Amino acid sequence: MTLLLQTLIFGCLIGGVYALMSSGFTLIFGVMDVINLAQGCLLITGAYLSWWMWQRTGLDPLLLGVLSSAALYGIGWLLYKGVVARVQRVDPGLTLVATFAVAVAGEGVIALVFGTSDRSATPSYFNTSFHLGSLSVPKAQLYACIGALVVLGGLYALLRGTFLGRAIRACASSRGGAELVGIDVERAMAQMFALGAATTGFGGAALSVLYQFLPDSQDIWIGRVLCVVVLGGLGSLPGALAGAVVLGLGEALTSTYWDVRWTTAVPYMLILAILLLRPQGLFGITLRREGARA
Amino acid sequence: MRPTAHAPLRRRPRLALCLGVPLLLAAAGCGASSTSHAGSGSGTITIGMSLPLSGAVADNSKSGYQGYQLWADQLNAHGGLLGRKVKLVVLDDGFTQSTAISDYNKLIGQQHVDLLLGTFSSFLNLPVAEVAERNKYVYIEPSGGADSIFARNFNYLFFAQPATTQNLPDQFVAQIAALPAAQRPRTAAFVTQDDPNTSEATKLFKDQLAKLGVKSVYDSTYAPDTSNFDAIANAIKQAAPDLVVQGALAEDGVSLIRSFQKVGFTPKTLFQTNSPSDTSYPDAVGTRNTEGVLTALAYSPDAPTPGNGAFVSAYKAKYSTVPSDDAANSYTAGQVLAAAVTAVGRLDQSAIADWLHKNTVSTIVGPLSWDAAGKPKGSLLLAQWQNGKLQIVAPAAEATSKQIEWAKPGWSQ
Repeated sequence: MTLLLQTLIFGCLIGGVYALMSSGFTLIFGVMDVINLAQGCLLITGAYLSWWMWQRTGLDPLLLGVLSSAALYGIGWLLYKGVVARVQRVDPGLTLVATFAVAVAGEGVIALVFGTSDRSATPSYFNTSFHLGSLSVPKAQLYACIGALVVLGGLYALLRGTFLGRAIRACASSRGGAELVGIDVERAMAQMFALGAATTGFGGAALSVLYQFLPDSQDIWIGRVLCVVVLGGLGSLPGALAGAVVLGLGEALTSTYWDVRWTTAVPYMLILAILLLRPQGLFGITLRREGARA
Repeated sequence: MRPTAHAPLRRRPRLALCLGVPLLLAAAGCGASSTSHAGSGSGTITIGMSLPLSGAVADNSKSGYQGYQLWADQLNAHGGLLGRKVKLVVLDDGFTQSTAISDYNKLIGQQHVDLLLGTFSSFLNLPVAEVAERNKYVYIEPSGGADSIFARNFNYLFFAQPATTQNLPDQFVAQIAALPAAQRPRTAAFVTQDDPNTSEATKLFKDQLAKLGVKSVYDSTYAPDTSNFDAIANAIKQAAPDLVVQGALAEDGVSLIRSFQKVGFTPKTLFQTNSPSDTSYPDAVGTRNTEGVLTALAYSPDAPTPGNGAFVSAYKAKYSTVPSDDAANSYTAGQVLAAAVTAVGRLDQSAIADWLHKNTVSTIVGPLSWDAAGKPKGSLLLAQWQNGKLQIVAPAAEATSKQIEWAKPGWSQ
């Protein structure tokens, strides 16, 4: 029983972190129909920025995620204006290729700037746990998970309760309709893309504490991000949270009760399963989007 | 991470975009400029090689290339080989087997190089050794210790490290066997990355320790891209082994330790392959937490082997860093080739191979001699982190510390 409870704790906590890493991806797709394959690169950039600031200031790397996010907001805005918007005007389908190219080039730039050695932020709590009887609750995972819930809640509130959020949701429903009511669609899109990148900055900060990372670590994480958003439903924030927890639990249970070797295959097995059983994902975004467009 | 006898180069997809391209250009320039000298019967001796200077392991192969360069520079500074200067003809295979094969065919068939030196990793050396064998060129490889390479019984292949994966557990198991029965670990957990070298090594550990009565209570293999070790650490904690043996290649060794700390489990004895010898290891796990961790080494900058001190000094002076295993292994490969050519007195591949089969070469990794398949007859070093330093604890002749700490202290938070 202890083993099961411990496994569930690990799964839920890491699921929260996965949700934070994936929220930007699902938002950008949900609003803009852009599959941003540079998401993994943005995530690793956020991790490097947090690590770099932690090294120089000694401040908490998770809190430094605020500054990483600000930087990634700017990077996201530039990426949208410089690449995505331009490519979309030629052929929206090319954004997939363009963001992949950005990911490849970005990896090289990161390697040039930060080098190719393994990095990791190690604040005082990075390897410690709260102990509840025989159960361990890793502090870093717990703090990152709480941070994930705060950021996702804030993002949800922004989308629901601010003019920018309403403008973004209007664009997601119908760009033409949004233009008719006076919304600057191009500006809202840029804001959306930048906001998606900024949330990834928080995910990168969590990654910097929880794992070692290299410039090419994005290859590992983009698969998990894709799984989370496909599982939860492309474009859905609550879906991303649900998908992330399912993935986290799936990995932890597989590792403990089946075979460790299969753990990294869990995201892909979940993608296959959800596409076969419920292609629109757990939160049925396809139906919502069709309804909105109708 | 370093490609040693028991560790292939880690793949880092696309990482070389920035690092590899300049190296690629440099290498291409080097190769092109030397073509006019290729195959000359007098004048410069051309030595061909194809290295993964771009691609997945570009960052790792850089130090290997530097080891070759230092060896060639020193050789030329002392009059060269057979009284002739040597020139390295270096091509870039991008860590692709087909390109490596093509490059070595080109070096032999088109550039007519006088001699060959090997590339890195079992992955590349496996097919390339066959090219050299078919063309009857002596092929001294600085890394690539997988047993499958030597299973073909090639005559022209020689491995420039003291031992292969097969010998990795030898020193550790011998030390366990030397302990009084009451002090030996009773139970062990075996966890390894899914890799030909670490899997093979971990299985050897398990089999050999079983003969000493050490019971396996946990045995699992994880995928190379595993990033979260919490569940693995927790399962090992539940099994409560005295000894943990991890077939680690790089950051996975650090990740398991971090997860042990989180779940609150300290094994009495911890042996990890490869990871503990990485320069980033003490920073990653915390210097105090390295205490007592055991590993196997193909090379140590501190080893009191002939010429090693001078090599380390020269390398530091030239590259401002301590030589890695890759650098040392390349340098060793060069030493082996030079010794054989000098002894034979002519560029006769068959005579050079025969000489190497019959003689022992003194190198910076110790005396090397080979069996009929090119497998070295030596053994790896057993090392342990003690007081923030990786000390050699066995064999006794090369030990820098006389004591082995069998009781690992608890993790420091």
